[in-house]
Amino acid sequence: MAASLCHFPPAVSSSSSLFVGSKSRSLLLAVSPFKHFPSKSSISASLPWTRSYAVSNDAAAFSVASPSDLRESPSLGEITRPDFPILRQVVNGFNLVYFDNAATSQKPSSVIKALSEYYELYNSNVHRGVHYLSAKATDAYEEARNKVANFVNAADRREIIFTRNATEAINLVAYSWGALNLRPGDEIVLTIAEHHSSIVPWQIVAKKTGAVLKYVELTKEVPDLDQFKGLLSKNTKLVVAHHVSNVLGSVLPIDEIVDWSHKVGAKVLVDACQSVPHMVVDVQKLNVDFLVASSHKMCGPTGAGFLYGKINLLSSMPPFLGGGEMITDVFQDYSTYAEPPSRFEAGTPAIAEAIGLGAAIDYLSSIGMEKIHNYEKKLSEYLYYQLSSVPNIHIYGPAPSDTVHRAALCAFNVDNIHPTDIATFLDEQHGVAVRSGHHCAQPLHRALGVNASARASLYFYNTKEEVDTFIQALKDTIEFFTTAA
Amino acid sequence: MASSISSSVLRLLSSPRILPNPSAFSSISAFLLPSRSLVFSSPISFQPLPKSPSLAGPLRAQQQQEEDQEATASIDVSLIPPKLRDIIALFQSVPEPKAKYQQLLHYGARLPPLDPAFKIDAYRVRGCVSQVWVRAFADPDDPAAVRFEADSDSALTKGLAALLVSGLSGSPATVIARVPPDFVQLLGLRQSLTPSRNNGFLNMLKLMQQKALQLYIEDAKAEKNKAIESETKGTGKVEKDPILDQEKAKEISRESLSPSNGSASPSISSVADKKDSSEIYGDGIGGRKKRIVVRLKQALSPVELEVKDVSYLHAGHAGVRGSADGETHFNVRAISKEFEGKSLVKRHRLIYDLLQEELQQGLHALSIDAKTPSEAQ
Repeated sequence: MAASLCHFPPAVSSSSSLFVGSKSRSLLLAVSPFKHFPSKSSISASLPWTRSYAVSNDAAAFSVASPSDLRESPSLGEITRPDFPILRQVVNGFNLVYFDNAATSQKPSSVIKALSEYYELYNSNVHRGVHYLSAKATDAYEEARNKVANFVNAADRREIIFTRNATEAINLVAYSWGALNLRPGDEIVLTIAEHHSSIVPWQIVAKKTGAVLKYVELTKEVPDLDQFKGLLSKNTKLVVAHHVSNVLGSVLPIDEIVDWSHKVGAKVLVDACQSVPHMVVDVQKLNVDFLVASSHKMCGPTGAGFLYGKINLLSSMPPFLGGGEMITDVFQDYSTYAEPPSRFEAGTPAIAEAIGLGAAIDYLSSIGMEKIHNYEKKLSEYLYYQLSSVPNIHIYGPAPSDTVHRAALCAFNVDNIHPTDIATFLDEQHGVAVRSGHHCAQPLHRALGVNASARASLYFYNTKEEVDTFIQALKDTIEFFTTAA
Repeated sequence: MASSISSSVLRLLSSPRILPNPSAFSSISAFLLPSRSLVFSSPISFQPLPKSPSLAGPLRAQQQQEEDQEATASIDVSLIPPKLRDIIALFQSVPEPKAKYQQLLHYGARLPPLDPAFKIDAYRVRGCVSQVWVRAFADPDDPAAVRFEADSDSALTKGLAALLVSGLSGSPATVIARVPPDFVQLLGLRQSLTPSRNNGFLNMLKLMQQKALQLYIEDAKAEKNKAIESETKGTGKVEKDPILDQEKAKEISRESLSPSNGSASPSISSVADKKDSSEIYGDGIGGRKKRIVVRLKQALSPVELEVKDVSYLHAGHAGVRGSADGETHFNVRAISKEFEGKSLVKRHRLIYDLLQEELQQGLHALSIDAKTPSEAQ
């Protein structure tokens, strides 16, 4: 059975175990079922892992090679894994299977190197100094801004504001744009599936301004777009929507949502934390007013994130945080403020982190977001259909198909077993890292009728073999809890 | 007894399959022990690791093992009540981790279900991954002993709860309060000891210790009042001795909240809980007195009610640490018809019951003067 080949023996704790990591990897390549993998996208009955596939041909067999390429080619996961030193480790006696990427992603050596190089070679405060080091640091920092702008295809580099993370970016819009523009009776439309960071700042500002929050409910475990259209009115001032849901894995048609919203005069803020790292996101094409994302979910360091805002909007917004950097002149009683983006970057920024984000973008671009997206699409289908084969399981969100795109993540529950028990056992007895809880989406879980769920979320450095290991481990876990009870 | 546990600890942790919790990686600085045998006999010298950038996983795992042994060697086994020690011995006799978990699940399965009446916020253990409720009450046969009941919707957490309930029930509060959380490492379950809202086990233990302490304080007060009552010539008038009350509270807090690893958390959770409640009450910090007044007014409809914050008299002693903004000790003077026909113990119990939430969120002790209108004249 393919799955058993993937389940490596426990590590030996002697000094030779220093090489366990690389040994297991070569083991992987040597006995990889990939050797038998079809290069054509068809389901072969002789392949053991395709037997458990769901019926339709939509779930294409796992292939990255072009149809005419007959030699077996390694998957994107296999190719990129060596770049991530953290993945080569043994956890609780098993090779680490890191399936918690929706929470945070791992960093390639190039990003780690960029961070230490910054501190070793040219650390200096930005925008202030005249000397060589500060010029170098400033250049690198502003170059990172350019990289982000290009990455999301912003029209103007000044439309990228560096923040601590996406949460801070949303708070920036809430306290700056929101406080200025929202009046009593104004409506903010959100979906019930929003992350807490997209909900709580608006609750706070709504209370201050007298605005009202309206929620789009679910239909068949995805946000109800018909209901959404019905909620839009001349009172709607802002629409807050995720691009990709961190629990449901569903993707919203942002271009359409922006269209409908602009027609009633509402602005749109998109939470792109789960989309920017995984696919091409073009802010001009989507025509969003605001968009936020986190560096740490896209192979960049923690402590950095960004807000994209249309320049005319940003220019009209008052400052969020006050201090150095965001001013032009400071007198005793008042100050004048700088133009965006500086206006919204008070104090010394997370310079190394922004540069690290730039390095992450370089790394992702060197692979190509299209390639990453295509690989993850297949991984997502494989994960979903393999998980579906587990008895008594319920996976939240839509089933992937040709017309329905689903992110490479699955939040699920197994009847009569608490997700925390599943996550604990998977970790302790199999070295598989998944998350359990409400994933910062309590309103969503309430709407789904559960307290918590377990979630496996993948990234381009995960492999099909790891999915097999996970499924095997999950089955073992379920057996343990059902027999022990 | 201690040495047998120590040697089985050594056996347990030297098994290569039991690698320690990787979450402890970041918090512990690197060191090398000269050799394992020295762990139990001589003072340990710490040497920094040579600067090697490519420190592979398995080497770090070895370090972890040694750190674990060092940690468990420092556990004072005498602080662990006998029933809990038996449970630990049972777990240690089962070397295979999977079998340990099975054992844990068995404990959980045998735990009697908790009355749904107690599955409310007042008994909930703070933590976001699963729901856990814990209840403490005095043993009807032996008022000095504390009994616990608990439940959880997660099987593993329920197992841990059952373990704690079995191991701690029947012991007096002072013993319970002194149990070091590290004991869980002796079980070999790789349970993290880092205080955090996610640490169900630690939060459970803290809550149980806190509740046991509350019972103790209540009981001690009741005892003292009974004694005073029998002394005075049955006039019904009782002289409250605020100084004696405070001394007792100080004594209890000092001996039980020792500055070990354990005491850090009650303050953390109690401060955090306080913030939760202020959200609910909307009063912000400083609302406790108001809340006490409101509560007592609602329930007792008193003729007279006086609530005074005397926390400043206790500032600086161990019981107050963590509740830096006072509101830990109050004098309550109430005259109400509700006290009619109730003994002094019952009156005090009534007031303590009304202020359950406060007691769980940082209120340490009350000095109560409860009279009926006729007595007050």
